[in-house]
Amino acid sequence: MTAVVETEGLTKFYGTRRGLEDLTLDIRPGEVFGYLGPNGAGKTTTIRLLLDVIRPTSGRATVFGASTRDPRVRARIGYLPGELALEGGERARDYLRFLAGVRGGVSRGRIDDLAERLDADLSVRMGRLSKGNKQKVGLIQAFMHEPELLILDEPTSGLDPLVQQEFLAMVREARTAGRTILMSSHVLAEVEHVADRVGIVRAGRLVAVEDIAALRERAVRHVELHFDAPVPREDFEGLPGVRDVTVQGASLRCTIDGRPDALVKAAARHTVVHLVSAEPDLEEIFLTYYSEEEARHAHAGA
Amino acid sequence: MPTLVRKTLGEYRRALIGWTVGLCAFLGMYISIYASMMKDPDTFTKQAIAKYPGALRDLMGGLSDIATGTGYLQAIAYQLLGPLLFTMCAVILGNRALAGPEEAKTLELTLTLPLDRRRLLLERWTALALGLLGVALVTLVVAAGASSAAGMGVPFGRILAAHTGLFLLVLFFGTLVLCVGAAFGRKQVALAVAGVWGVAGYIVETMGRSVDALSWLRWLTPVHYYLDGRPLYQGWPYGDYLVLLGATAVLLMTALLAFERRDVGV
Ligand SMILES: Nc1ncnc2c1ncn2[C@@H]1O[C@H](COP(=O)(O)OP(=O)(O)OP(=O)(O)O)[C@@H](O)[C@H]1O
Ligand SMILES: [Mg+2]
Repeated sequence: MTAVVETEGLTKFYGTRRGLEDLTLDIRPGEVFGYLGPNGAGKTTTIRLLLDVIRPTSGRATVFGASTRDPRVRARIGYLPGELALEGGERARDYLRFLAGVRGGVSRGRIDDLAERLDADLSVRMGRLSKGNKQKVGLIQAFMHEPELLILDEPTSGLDPLVQQEFLAMVREARTAGRTILMSSHVLAEVEHVADRVGIVRAGRLVAVEDIAALRERAVRHVELHFDAPVPREDFEGLPGVRDVTVQGASLRCTIDGRPDALVKAAARHTVVHLVSAEPDLEEIFLTYYSEEEARHAHAGA
Repeated sequence: MPTLVRKTLGEYRRALIGWTVGLCAFLGMYISIYASMMKDPDTFTKQAIAKYPGALRDLMGGLSDIATGTGYLQAIAYQLLGPLLFTMCAVILGNRALAGPEEAKTLELTLTLPLDRRRLLLERWTALALGLLGVALVTLVVAAGASSAAGMGVPFGRILAAHTGLFLLVLFFGTLVLCVGAAFGRKQVALAVAGVWGVAGYIVETMGRSVDALSWLRWLTPVHYYLDGRPLYQGWPYGDYLVLLGATAVLLMTALLAFERRDVGV
């Protein structure tokens, strides 16, 4: 299984400013890869390198096994820029037709279908589109030629929640059709329901690549147990993976990292009348990455 | 016609129409008053012209024969104002080929289409050249028509020769701006380069020809190859025009090489 996107030691400095350093990453065929990081992390830099808008300082990147310099590669990519600019007196539909024309044609119905799904009005002049409507036009041009690889830089920015849902549905459909998707975001919540893997980039470096399923397993869970009688706190202290235990009479609250096994076994010695387990909060574990890195940086700086 | 050429011409359309109308109005108006000025010959007697400071006369190309049809047409249409206005048009359109869209961030999406950068640049340039050619053709018709209507007695062949030079000059400046824009991605830089080269070049060519220390500089200015052959008087200066055309080709090659290795939008 050859990777769709493959980078090796990919590095970009803007003068002396670091944009991205030593990125080695594979994106596999058919997966949805969430590329996460705070402002200025290097997400857009990575994506622009893949699209050959900017050139690496060192390292290399291939897409579909070919150099990113090869224009034929871009025929197979649908791209949504992070800083999408559309201006002028041209109508959105005419602009889409022009893009489709250069790409060798797209059926007329396809553009209209996408416009309808996203609730975009294509008769408006581009300079007068609202931010969200510009984003819709950007999404339509990325999806319209049914590319094998979609590279979407902050695709949901500016979209209202309903349209965001529709967009996520489009991503799922594209994946079902066997396409590969790389999408960037600031928050995990935006991608966790569609992504198979996430990469976390920070200050120009890839900090972690995680399977969403594995992340879920390791995720922090808040659990509440209610018993038929008050329980001694000691029974639940020092259990592996169980933290922040508070006991109030017959009820217990705690946080578990990973598997709930030890907690369940300890609780089984008492009579459980009610159990509440909140949806695993991936955001929390994600933020832990951030803060760990932050601490490390602060340490290095001191 | 390639898609990107058509698209670029579409973007230029309004500006092209505007500049064509403006240039035609300018040429038509000034050429048509020739007849009325000739009715009052005192305006252009040798003595009247001699009252102008020498430097000003040099700047306007001498003015010694402004009372003749050829001299008047040269002074009005082909010496300073005509080329100045048309060059402004070329510079503005040249900047809209690459540097403008790059600054506006609209170039990024075009760049990620399955076209190589050379083709993108060449198609943009082709649209620029075709647009300028269109303006040149329409203004040629107006200049030739108005001067024959005003009874200037300048043969069409001479006007065609002068107008061809004008087209080559503005094509040079348009390509220059496109080239600087392709290399640096900044409109202001391109404007500054074209402005300085154009204005300094004109001054060196007109006033500097009598200053020994400056006269060698004339060879470096496109204006020299436009003015020196005096096509309106002497017909086609083939050599000079070939130099202009060659310089434009060199600029275009430079633009292709520079754009090929650029980080766009940074
Ligand atoms: N044109 C540029 N010139 C200089 N530095 C740049 C340029 N573009 C980006 N950078 C720097 O490179 C780093 C990475 O920027 P990048 O735009 O890739 O971040 P990002 O992850 O996309 O951020 P955001 O979430 O804000 O879009 C930042 O420190 C930024 O300041
Ligand atoms: Mg970004």
